[in-house]
Amino acid sequence: MAVCAAIIGKDNSPKYFTCLNPDEELGFQYKVLSSLDVIEEKLNSGNKSVSDTRELYLGMLYSLEKHKIYGYVSNTKIKFIIVIDSTNTSLRDNEIRSMFRKLHSIYADNVCNPFYIPDEPITSKSFDKSVKHIISGI
Amino acid sequence: MDDTLFEFLHSEVVNYVVEGNNILNKDNKDEDLSNLEYIGFSVGYKIIERLTREMARFKDELDMMKFVCTDFWSAIYKKQIDNLRTNHQGVYVLQDNGFKFLTKMSNGKQYLELAPRYVAFTCGIIRGSLANLGVNCLVTAEVQNMPACKFHIQVQRT
Amino acid sequence: MRSSVSYILSTTTSEPNMSHPDYEQFSHDHAALLILVKQIGSCLKTKTFNKFYERISKVNTVKITDSTGQVRNILIRYIKEHPVENNDWGDFQTHRRLLGLISLGRYDSQQELNEICRVHESLKVKYTSTLFDSRCILFGVNDEREYPSDNSSPEEESSSSSKLSVDEPVSEPKESDSKPRDKFTTPTNFKARAIFYNEADPCTDLENQLNEFINSLFWVLESKRLERSREKIERVSLLLAPFEKKDFVGLDMDSRNNKKRCNGRMTKHLGDLYLQAGLLSESLGYYHSAVETLKSVNDWLWLGAAYEGLCAASALVWYPNIQRNVSLHRNASLPEGSPKRSNSISTPMENTKRDIINMLPPDEISKRYREAIIHYSKYQNAGIIETEASFKAARISVEQNHSLQAASFLQNVVFINLTLSEQEKIQRFETLSDLYMEIGFIRKAAFCQRLAATRHVSPQNPTPNWNKCYSLILQSFPGHKISLDPTEMSTIHSPCGWPSLQIQLLQELVVASKRMGHSALATRHMTFLLQTMWQHLSSSEQKEFAIQLQSLSSQCEGAPVPLVLDTGIVIPPANLSNVPICSGFNLRSLQPHLQPRKIETFKRDLGPFLFTPIKFGTLERSSSKPQSKMDFLWVENDVCEVTLKLVNPLPFELKVSNMRLLTSGVVFESIPETVVLPSDTPTSLTLNGTPKESGELEIQGYSTHTLGVKSNCRLRCMPNFLPCYSIEVIPVLPTMEIKTSLPQSATFSSFQNFENVVTSASISLYNGESTECTITLTNNSHVPIEMLEVSIQSVLELSLQDQIFKWSQENLESQLPLMPNGTASLTLYLYSAANFLAAGYGPNELSSGVFGSSHGSSLMSMSAGPSSLPSRLNSPIYSAMGSSFHGTRRNELNSSFRSSNSGQSSMTTTGYRSPGALILPQHAASTVVEGQLQLRYSGGAGLRAGYCRSSSIFITLEMLPSLQVTNWDVLPAETSSQFYLVLDIANMTSQEMELYYTPTKHMLIEGHESCRVPVPVNRCPLSKLTKLYMDQNSGMNNRLDLDKICSDHIANLVDLRWQLLSLNTRGKATLKGITLTPNMLDIVRMSPLNWEVSVNGDFLKPQEEINCDAGDCLSVRISICNSLEKPLQHLILSIQFYQDHRNGTHNYRLETRVVIIGCAKKILPVLEPQSKAWHACNVLFLTPGQYKMDIQCSTSDALSTNQPILGPCGHSWRYIPAVDVNVHI
Repeated sequence: MAVCAAIIGKDNSPKYFTCLNPDEELGFQYKVLSSLDVIEEKLNSGNKSVSDTRELYLGMLYSLEKHKIYGYVSNTKIKFIIVIDSTNTSLRDNEIRSMFRKLHSIYADNVCNPFYIPDEPITSKSFDKSVKHIISGI
Repeated sequence: MDDTLFEFLHSEVVNYVVEGNNILNKDNKDEDLSNLEYIGFSVGYKIIERLTREMARFKDELDMMKFVCTDFWSAIYKKQIDNLRTNHQGVYVLQDNGFKFLTKMSNGKQYLELAPRYVAFTCGIIRGSLANLGVNCLVTAEVQNMPACKFHIQVQRT
Repeated sequence: MRSSVSYILSTTTSEPNMSHPDYEQFSHDHAALLILVKQIGSCLKTKTFNKFYERISKVNTVKITDSTGQVRNILIRYIKEHPVENNDWGDFQTHRRLLGLISLGRYDSQQELNEICRVHESLKVKYTSTLFDSRCILFGVNDEREYPSDNSSPEEESSSSSKLSVDEPVSEPKESDSKPRDKFTTPTNFKARAIFYNEADPCTDLENQLNEFINSLFWVLESKRLERSREKIERVSLLLAPFEKKDFVGLDMDSRNNKKRCNGRMTKHLGDLYLQAGLLSESLGYYHSAVETLKSVNDWLWLGAAYEGLCAASALVWYPNIQRNVSLHRNASLPEGSPKRSNSISTPMENTKRDIINMLPPDEISKRYREAIIHYSKYQNAGIIETEASFKAARISVEQNHSLQAASFLQNVVFINLTLSEQEKIQRFETLSDLYMEIGFIRKAAFCQRLAATRHVSPQNPTPNWNKCYSLILQSFPGHKISLDPTEMSTIHSPCGWPSLQIQLLQELVVASKRMGHSALATRHMTFLLQTMWQHLSSSEQKEFAIQLQSLSSQCEGAPVPLVLDTGIVIPPANLSNVPICSGFNLRSLQPHLQPRKIETFKRDLGPFLFTPIKFGTLERSSSKPQSKMDFLWVENDVCEVTLKLVNPLPFELKVSNMRLLTSGVVFESIPETVVLPSDTPTSLTLNGTPKESGELEIQGYSTHTLGVKSNCRLRCMPNFLPCYSIEVIPVLPTMEIKTSLPQSATFSSFQNFENVVTSASISLYNGESTECTITLTNNSHVPIEMLEVSIQSVLELSLQDQIFKWSQENLESQLPLMPNGTASLTLYLYSAANFLAAGYGPNELSSGVFGSSHGSSLMSMSAGPSSLPSRLNSPIYSAMGSSFHGTRRNELNSSFRSSNSGQSSMTTTGYRSPGALILPQHAASTVVEGQLQLRYSGGAGLRAGYCRSSSIFITLEMLPSLQVTNWDVLPAETSSQFYLVLDIANMTSQEMELYYTPTKHMLIEGHESCRVPVPVNRCPLSKLTKLYMDQNSGMNNRLDLDKICSDHIANLVDLRWQLLSLNTRGKATLKGITLTPNMLDIVRMSPLNWEVSVNGDFLKPQEEINCDAGDCLSVRISICNSLEKPLQHLILSIQFYQDHRNGTHNYRLETRVVIIGCAKKILPVLEPQSKAWHACNVLFLTPGQYKMDIQCSTSDALSTNQPILGPCGHSWRYIPAVDVNVHI
């Protein structure tokens, strides 16, 4: 059960953003944006020291008072970010991981949508629906 | 079955592009296959997203090339690249001894002149996939003896 | 990171805890002696203080040799503020104690000096519990020499003013050398050491003084350390953190656990002291054992402190060079993402480091810090210690290049729940952002900056500071990928920023600048927001922001100039190019008649190379390049135009005023325009301007003033446009106004290039009529017209065109130069030239004699015309014209055929031609001639540059038929010097026409009727023909030439004038182009031979008849004279008789009727010019009747060939007319 999900392009500009409560979107955007620093750092250091973790899933990027932010970066440098309510302790790492997998999967499907131009913001309605489906954990 | 369909579709795309060119400029000696290459580029750019979905993160460039030779090639051509060589300075040569789009033609030199038409799309696919993986490169193909084909990848460093 | 068992070990308490966090701490500060540097009094300028503070701060390590001869490295930390409560934590961590005090003050008078001393003393009292020593640096007046040093009076003063406690012994200031030069002395109760300087002094011994001071501090510290270390560890009292005091009340202090606790805490405390005293390895030892001891008694707080000490000591070994930025202002030149520190550790040092026992390896440092922080986090009251530890740990991680680790320490800071003042919260965020910046987390840094900014103005903040808020938001821009330069925002092709965040930030910035009271900034940022975020805004947002901008700009208008803030930051101009949107930008050429044209110089022969390879090259290049250089010209001082297509994207009407063109290059005066744009409707607008110089002009864009903002919209900053357009401006040219005396034409037709036509004139003329048209030229410029050329353009043949349009160039030139406002007139003579001969009728019609079919024939000849323009083909009027004029030539070529028809037969034989039978084709009645009178004029600098303008007058001339010669013939006249030209003349008008065909003769012709008139014409004199006769060798052409000469001769002599009585118009008709048969030619021209014929001795007169009786013998004598200028050879002179049966047959067989006595022929071998020859014979008529005597003289070959006779050779001349002889019975 996530409260927010974002897909960020190679150039770190937002391609897709959604959260459960639309009123909080801007606040989440700030948080997700600043988590990119961690992602970049993780990807950079990934080559040097922590090369054993070659997983696309980056784990928790950082935690805030109320939220925890998780990251996942595809091989094509598309960043997926999920924000979890930190009071929700029942969620296990594996569940988050599978949430990312699903997200990546529908993203890959969306790329094959002939109407989608790579690196453009995603506007497909069915994609939006699928993402909401995934993050609400049903 | 779907292999055959893919091959037919590909050869029709080749014909379509070549004929389109003929209408535009008849006397141009060097065939303009850039359209074909671009079609390949778009396909490669998109398909790599799907093919690398379950892959671990690539260690380095060579890792990516290996992926192209094995999983990637198998996914598209149902076989692997037969030989990969590199100078470790950004040049990679991928050799396919029986390149799918050439195997159905004669073995030898009969259609050698027309071979570029049947490799341009694949060059584009390679370039597009690598571009999406963050590697900008030039891809050229070399056919000396059908149906063998060598793809030269030259990475552009900026 | 934080312990999940937060706060379990500390009760919530209202005890005073350390309320002033020191975010600037480094782990190295654990080893440093803390010295407060204080500015006292208001006389010392803050700037001077800061200068000295910096200088003092540089003395941050001092090497001191201790009693054992060991060199100690003593670190010093200087601070400007130290809340006294922080001293309370001095037992917990000794580096928190304030050990030294340096105060700085300036005085001009003893009173001020006393005040400084008093404050210094009171500070000493304030920190008395920890202070070891103090110094007071005093700056005196500059020129002490004015005042003779006087020691006594200040002594008195000081004693009198001393109000401080007097139970301390008076300490004399030890600076004996400074004393003599100062007439002031410190008060007697002042017991600190004073250091006197003059303000202007270089204060060279300041560092020495500091050294001495630090030495003194050290020795006190050293003594305390020794004292502590000698204490029996079992007997020490429990050291407590400030909040712990309550917790331990009533606890059994003698329990084993507690003993251990006391022991552990003291060991840790010793570690602190050793560390400060520069004994690193010893301190490590103490810390290590303290850790062991404290761990065993679960004394988490102090365990944390021991870990921290361990880390601090280790870090000091590993990274001795970590330094705080002495000057706190950020180095702007550093690239974003901070340079990561390089650990400059040399290998030999590394080896020595490894030798130190108990020292932590680098990666352990962070781990221990982490543990320490976790332990701290268990105590709510240790929040500040935890915060500071987090910062210290982060700084170590930065030094170690472990960004992620640093980030996690920094992240921890946010979780620590502290009751902080707003100011402290802000500082915390600012410090966080600085550190994030250092590890390259610019987004995170920006995030913290924004939080700090909002804190500055939060409702909880008692002192909102919009200035700081503003500057923090501004600082956060790089992290949010906002550049203040709108052009940079647009040039970033891929949108990297997060638009919704950028929009919010910019809105906040607008609010902040508004609240700062800087309305110019508010306007600027709002403009920026609207401009750069346009495509990310919904249309309602666009509208809302536009309205906001309007209200902001009503406070202060936006102008396209950079704004410089007090901090030195430059805010580049923001130009609104989206409101309105420009979708088209086109330079217009001048109006055709004003367009400058190159005055053609005669093309010089450039040799055989027509094309050079270079030209090919340039051609190719120009074809590939987009057209930024205009291919037309503008003229200095002329109003030039650029058309814009504007769209107002806002849902309300938009007024855009002061729109001008932005140019560079030559001086250009742009005329401002104001336009009101309805919503979402493309509107075209023309911007005008006048170049004031000649040369290259660049049009770079346009300026607007809308929504209260002035903008310079440059094309290079706008998509879909070339960066600029350039155009050549040529020097000033005159302009001219043109008027004609004739009415304007109703319509123009046929000409394609009538674009430069400025006026028109139309008139109808009957063929042969002429009129004048006065063209008035007014120079309405400020430049004299020095050149004026007139030419006519039409589709007519050149010769015909010259007949119709005539003017006097000389007359015109005599009126030049035409000064400004001057007027010149040009008279254009118009003549309705036409072929008056029945030329429209083809030869076929003539031969068949059916005139009625001529109508159809002329239509048919349409396609035969030389028309090149399809429009002309469609115009029956024109084609009639064309065919008729060109038909003339064709008729000439065919003339031999045609003339033979009309000439050989006499008029009576051609059949009956009643005037009534003359059916004239009505449609051919009028033709329209169109011509353009082109006036090319120039003057002034433009002329010298080789340019002119060209204006045209469109002239429509309707040519109405007047009379037509439908047929003609020649007859010998009564005198041999003349002949009769007999003309059938048709009146083509419907009016009654008076025809004057000789000077004396005239007749009236009814409308649409014809009549026949004989016109006596002098024969063509031989002088006109000499050339032909002289030229022996010419062939067939001679006949045509002869034909032409004679035809011209007739045309010149025959003067047909007509007058339409009712209209009172008159004109003349010409017979130009009349064709003649060879036989006609003989009549027309004078014979080269002069004949003299005498019968029976009497000279025969022309037309005279001879009457005789049958049987009479007539003696005929013929004499000929050669009037040519060359001899004639092989002449045969002969005489012959025949009878004319008047039915076309002549009877030459007259042997039974006439007898010639003597020779009928005589051969003359040569007849010299002007010489005469004669021949005589007798004739006897046997039977009565009418005879004709035919006398002829021919060249020898003429008789044998039956060819048309040409020139002098092979020709025969007759005595005309043949002489009638009436023989009576």
